[in-house]
Amino acid sequence: MTSVITGIGMLAATGIGTEALWEAVREGRPGIKQISRFDATGYGGGLGGEITEFDAATWVESRVLVQTDLWTHLALAATKMALDDARLDPAATDDPYAVGVTTSASSGGNIFGQREIHSLWSQGPRHVGPYQSIAWFYAACTGQMSIAHGAKGPCGVIATEAAGGLDALAHSRRVIRRGTPAMITGGTEAPLGPYALVCQLAGGLLSRTAQLADAYAPFTTRACGYVPGEGGAVLVLEDSQAARQRDATAIAEISGWGAAFAGRVPAGAHDHAGWAKTTPALARAIRAALADARIDATDISMVFADGVGIPHADAAEAAALHAALGAHAASVPVALPKAGFGRLHAGSATIDTALAALALRDGVVPPAPGINDPDPALGLRLVTGEARTVQGRHALVVSRGTGGFASALVLSRTT
Amino acid sequence: MTRRVAVTGIGVVAPGGIGTKAFWSLLSSGRTATGPITLFDPTGFRSRVAAQCDFNAQAEGLTPTEVRRLDRHIQFALVAAREALRDADLDLSTVSDRAGVTMGTAVGSTIRLEQEYVIASDSGRHWLADPHHALPFLDQSLVPSTLAAEVACAAGIGGPAMTVSTGCTSGLDSIGYAYQLIEDGVADVMIAGASDAPISPISVACFDAIRATTARNDDPAHASRPFDAGRDGFVIAEGGAVLILEELDTARARGARIYCEIGGFATRGNAYHMTGLTREGLEMSAAIDDALRQARLNPEDVGYVNAHGSGTKQNDRHETAAVKRSLGAHAYRTPMSSIKSMVGHSLGAIGAIELVACVLAMQHALLPPTANYETPDPDCDLDYIPNVARQRQADAVLSVGSGFGGFQSAVVLDRLGRRP
Amino acid sequence: MSDTTLDLTYLASVVTRCAGVPTSASALADDPDFNDLGVDSLGLLGIVTELENQLQVTLPEGAEKAERPSQLIDFVINRSVRRS
Repeated sequence: MTSVITGIGMLAATGIGTEALWEAVREGRPGIKQISRFDATGYGGGLGGEITEFDAATWVESRVLVQTDLWTHLALAATKMALDDARLDPAATDDPYAVGVTTSASSGGNIFGQREIHSLWSQGPRHVGPYQSIAWFYAACTGQMSIAHGAKGPCGVIATEAAGGLDALAHSRRVIRRGTPAMITGGTEAPLGPYALVCQLAGGLLSRTAQLADAYAPFTTRACGYVPGEGGAVLVLEDSQAARQRDATAIAEISGWGAAFAGRVPAGAHDHAGWAKTTPALARAIRAALADARIDATDISMVFADGVGIPHADAAEAAALHAALGAHAASVPVALPKAGFGRLHAGSATIDTALAALALRDGVVPPAPGINDPDPALGLRLVTGEARTVQGRHALVVSRGTGGFASALVLSRTT
Repeated sequence: MTRRVAVTGIGVVAPGGIGTKAFWSLLSSGRTATGPITLFDPTGFRSRVAAQCDFNAQAEGLTPTEVRRLDRHIQFALVAAREALRDADLDLSTVSDRAGVTMGTAVGSTIRLEQEYVIASDSGRHWLADPHHALPFLDQSLVPSTLAAEVACAAGIGGPAMTVSTGCTSGLDSIGYAYQLIEDGVADVMIAGASDAPISPISVACFDAIRATTARNDDPAHASRPFDAGRDGFVIAEGGAVLILEELDTARARGARIYCEIGGFATRGNAYHMTGLTREGLEMSAAIDDALRQARLNPEDVGYVNAHGSGTKQNDRHETAAVKRSLGAHAYRTPMSSIKSMVGHSLGAIGAIELVACVLAMQHALLPPTANYETPDPDCDLDYIPNVARQRQADAVLSVGSGFGGFQSAVVLDRLGRRP
Repeated sequence: MSDTTLDLTYLASVVTRCAGVPTSASALADDPDFNDLGVDSLGLLGIVTELENQLQVTLPEGAEKAERPSQLIDFVINRSVRRS
């Protein structure tokens, strides 16, 4: 019983919608800039992957708009795109429980929540509105996505920070194996609010420079942190037989997954020992994913990397790739599209997975935006400058969530 | 060959009882642990009742550094996990990479986030909150994944770890996901539980705003009244619980004490409303049916139903309808109770706390009552084990949960040997 | 009794903003069922909370179950209590 991707919806700073974003990613277009929605100069470098053109009202009906955060608006937009792409209407299936929803969640409804806590403390408890109970909490997106589309199947939420996108897909695959034909699966993030930035800055991993060129340069010696971005992706994952029965196009198969825990919480940028512990964990996750997919390291034709953008973290990731892929790690093309739109936390790995599926489909690995000087000491073949033509059957997506989470996913072409 | 999953250890931090012994003493006596909110000054709030844990972090063995670093809900989780692991008598070093963690939470580090916002915003004076006063690890409070990470760190596990955050069904779902991971051979041992510490101004205020919590402030001990005609909302609570799950053959091979098996887990979405429930409870019933089917149980085999029973007008009606739909005529012969009547509703944690209660009920052949049950409601006409615990051996127990976002979940616990 | 007034234009703006249901004074003048307007239970709570905070009154329990604008207006004008 295999699970295939039959629909993709995604949005990030450089594009709203799969076609627009994939084009921007193929070109290596950079999209990180000064945060414009509020004066962010007091927050590190004040940079972010803002989706300035996103008009939530065109995607979300007004009644839902007022009771949700931007985080959920992004998720609802991506869900609509994905279901349209898959030509699937959960409300129209014979079995009302045929479609479920899994999301990966991280910081939740930041701006909405901050507004309500702000009202509480500045004006009093009666100034907290009725939507706070449903807008900020981590299950809000799954709930609203399920309601918007009549998806009554198993609904879930997984939180493993940036690894969540992969873990949510694996969870959906487990659910599909147990008899639910289709799972709407994804993750989005809206981390560019004042208090959310206060919290992220405290972790010591955010880039503090205002220089666009250097702000998020993973896998280089210039790396000095990451830039958060908003956006994410939603995929429609289906049982391959069910997909065939309704003539849906299978874009790629989720053929393998592995997850491991690093045993130590990396405490900031300089926690060398902590980051180093992510190496064996990520290597274990990669090996488990390869074994699950029943392929060898040499079958992997492209890697979509985690790219935290902290030297110790990048070195640890490279070491994991070498440990798990052996000699092949030095020659397999590595992609870091997130350098162009930021780290999307709960949305990161889902968008990487969507991009990997498109890369397999089109036979092209995108270049890492703004990076022309990958650190040779890492021993990896980062694709830079221009997209590279790559014919191959299998892609590896890796992601580590702060806290010690390490996950890997193998995607395979179906044709 | 399907792998089966055993429960080999339990631990709990609950209002009125830290540790399974004190917890069971409360439940079996029918005493309630609800009282006035004292964790903060609730003047000006609509609902001023809660079920709080009498928790002394230092006495529970947590260091000052841990108390500084960890939100209250994580402190609960570590204590509950420690008790569960000791109870299971399990040496994790032998299985480290084959052991994983699933921990549920609905609102994560709300207390810490709110406290720090007061500082960073100067009590809501500055929207552009000041990063300079933030605690150095505040990023960990921003995300619910920290709960699973801290439990995994403390236990030294190397397999998959994840936080499950499906609102008020997080506790049941966490155990359900762990069960699926063992079934699928991803892990052989899972530390599975949930924890929430939501008794904080923002959470109390947000439930005030939708009138979901009780306004019976003059009588806190009797404010949580599931299924009673005079019920007027839930009592917000805190707590945490952990169950150790092991692949059955592995557990037997090491001579583990096996409490019971996980017979089944299912979840559905009502896709109806973020907070509202229908009168019919079709989706909850569908989840129950699926869980019973997995456990190969007929309705008459269910010995006890541990209800969601939050004590809101709509939930108890909805749930009664769902249970009747699934169990048919047998619903009237199957005792069903809500321990929220005694320990309140701790949101994401309660599902795990309730499963520990179910394990204890099976072990002691005693079913916990629904406290404060005085006046029957015509819409809720089942046997809710009013006020006094009932002696009965339940070989198969059904636990049900429901939550904001439309989540409807069910877990079945099965006595080992009931199923060949 | 309170001397609070509540005109339909203001109420329409509250319904639009707080329940996310775009409406107008003339639409409310027909006194439609809130359900038919598309205002659900949460939306009504949003309207009630906003009215209480803006008008500095406390509405009695039950206001959030008002079925139509006329009932809500009655709660505000005749059954609300000024907040000190």
